[in-house]
Amino acid sequence: MAFPGAPGVDSIGVSVKTQFPNGYVLNVMAADRAGIVAAVSKAVADAGGNIDACSQTVLCGYFTLIMVVSFPEPLAEKEFLETLIRPAGRETGLQVQIRPFQPDLPPAVAEKCGNFVVTCFGPDAPGVIHRFSALLADKGINIVDLYGQLDGEQFVLISQVQIPRRWDLAMLQADLEALGAEQGYTVRLQHENIFIATNQLRLYSHG
Amino acid sequence: MLRTDEILSTIQMLHAEHLDVRTVTLGININDCAAPAVELICRKLTQKIARYARNLVAACEKVAGKYGVPVTNKRLAISPAEFLLAGHGRSAAVAIAEALDSVAGQVGVDLVGGFTAYCDKGISAAAAVLIDSLPEVLSRTERVCASVNLASRRAGINMDAVARMGRTVPAVAQATADRKGFGAAKLVVFANIPRDNPFMAGAVLGRGEPEAVINVGVSGPGVVASALRRKVQLQPDLTLGELAEEIKIMAFRVTRVGELIGREVANELSVPFGIVDLSLAPTPAVGDSVGEIIRILGVECIGAPGSTAAIALLTDAVKKGGAFASSSVGGLSGAFIPVSEDSALADAAARGHLVLEKLEAMTSVCSVGLDMIAIPGDTPPETIAAIIADEMAIGVVNNKTTGVRVIPVPGGKVGQQVEFGGLFGSAPIMEVRNAGASAAFVRFGGRIPAPIHSLSN
Repeated sequence: MAFPGAPGVDSIGVSVKTQFPNGYVLNVMAADRAGIVAAVSKAVADAGGNIDACSQTVLCGYFTLIMVVSFPEPLAEKEFLETLIRPAGRETGLQVQIRPFQPDLPPAVAEKCGNFVVTCFGPDAPGVIHRFSALLADKGINIVDLYGQLDGEQFVLISQVQIPRRWDLAMLQADLEALGAEQGYTVRLQHENIFIATNQLRLYSHG
Repeated sequence: MLRTDEILSTIQMLHAEHLDVRTVTLGININDCAAPAVELICRKLTQKIARYARNLVAACEKVAGKYGVPVTNKRLAISPAEFLLAGHGRSAAVAIAEALDSVAGQVGVDLVGGFTAYCDKGISAAAAVLIDSLPEVLSRTERVCASVNLASRRAGINMDAVARMGRTVPAVAQATADRKGFGAAKLVVFANIPRDNPFMAGAVLGRGEPEAVINVGVSGPGVVASALRRKVQLQPDLTLGELAEEIKIMAFRVTRVGELIGREVANELSVPFGIVDLSLAPTPAVGDSVGEIIRILGVECIGAPGSTAAIALLTDAVKKGGAFASSSVGGLSGAFIPVSEDSALADAAARGHLVLEKLEAMTSVCSVGLDMIAIPGDTPPETIAAIIADEMAIGVVNNKTTGVRVIPVPGGKVGQQVEFGGLFGSAPIMEVRNAGASAAFVRFGGRIPAPIHSLSN
């Protein structure tokens, strides 16, 4: 029988409900190899806990994992970390952080937003991501997903963003294009539905 | 969350391969503009069209900006002008066309279709007025497009109307001789005219349609051609069936773009969304060509044996991909082969690879018909009528829409290059073989009866 856990909201407004009342956010980083998820999930299970949500990514050979986990009783954090990092005194090479899960965290953006995609193509240089993200941050635009990769001579930067509805889209596009032009970048801001319609079975996003 | 490869492939299609929405066409029923006085008809027409269409261009631009997809043409299609002309004469037809031209200019659209008559079983007095007014209408207006339905599966082919249009088409060209007969580029005759076609010159708001509606025509030959080229380079041993699959996927994606834009523009204008026309519509831009697709499919010279099979494969795959993408498919929905508007086809015609008869064969398996073909100005009217009759027969017997839009270029001789400008492109004047040899057939007149399979009730 499911324990009435603590409800919460994730960064893009999706409700998260933990199975047990003592929730934690667990973050793991390591050089990628087989068996990391098995090791982490074993430690959670051995401590009587449940994995309530998880997401992993691998970038340039480095693995990172974020999990929301919960336990029936408060966790002895130090011992739990020790079993993950040095089980039976053996170094696993995992970097692990844990912090209490706050179910009542406010959404990243309190206003009504539209979901858009910013794509930037241009020469790689220090500070590029900072300049684009600073412009977005200045307008209260939240980045919910970020991808950047050098493709030949060109750096490709893709941000999925939440834009508060108070902004005039055409003006925002003009600002981004002008910023891009200063750095030799082609920048586009497009609503996410064009990508959904052309790639998925549905025509629109759920929102 | 969207995947990176999804985002990148859409960016490639929209921006590297220049996918656009070819036309957003606002259909408006103008039947309630009828009145005994021509001045009153024109006033009501102007008011009604301006009321519905005044925000069309702005709405298209807003939506295009939001999604990063250009809407190349914003157009209007009225309900058939024939019904407005009941009881009126030629001067009324010209006045109404001029009012249409003027209001279209005011609201910022480049073309308005629906100067249309239905003659598949007989010619009403109003239809005769409309047809007889066409040389004056199409020479005195810039934006008005006309169409006449001459045949249908249920009625057969009205050869009297066909003969009449055989005389009218060169008369229109002659009336616009200073523009190389360009007036004829704004006139198309049909078998089985669709009622929701968004493409010019044949756009019209047909019977059974809403008071106002947004219909969308997509583009996409360039996108399909690029996808096929990539596929063939990566996997040269693919079969035609596998290439058809690739066309289906691209047609799905292109159709989705059209539907998304169309629905949102309709929403902005508070009118219903009608259909998306799947037709791959080429432009004179190099690469944005249906002919190029035929070449990538391995038919080196367009017009060579295999061309008809290749265009059949393409049309079928486009329909299948588009039909899965949208439940609101209509109009013509196939692949267009307008010679002057497609650089590869125009080039093949100039080299003598592509001839009129092969184009006719290709139209039996694709939409829409003999389109944007320049022919010598001295082609006899009976021969033009016979060309039309052949194309009507393909439509009636195969239960599909076919059309003819030929331009008899006044003073023009075979092989001369004719420039129509903009999206109308340029093309060589093509030879009409056996000119004059069909006169007796056309002069019989009457009606070619409907085929046996029309008796399907």
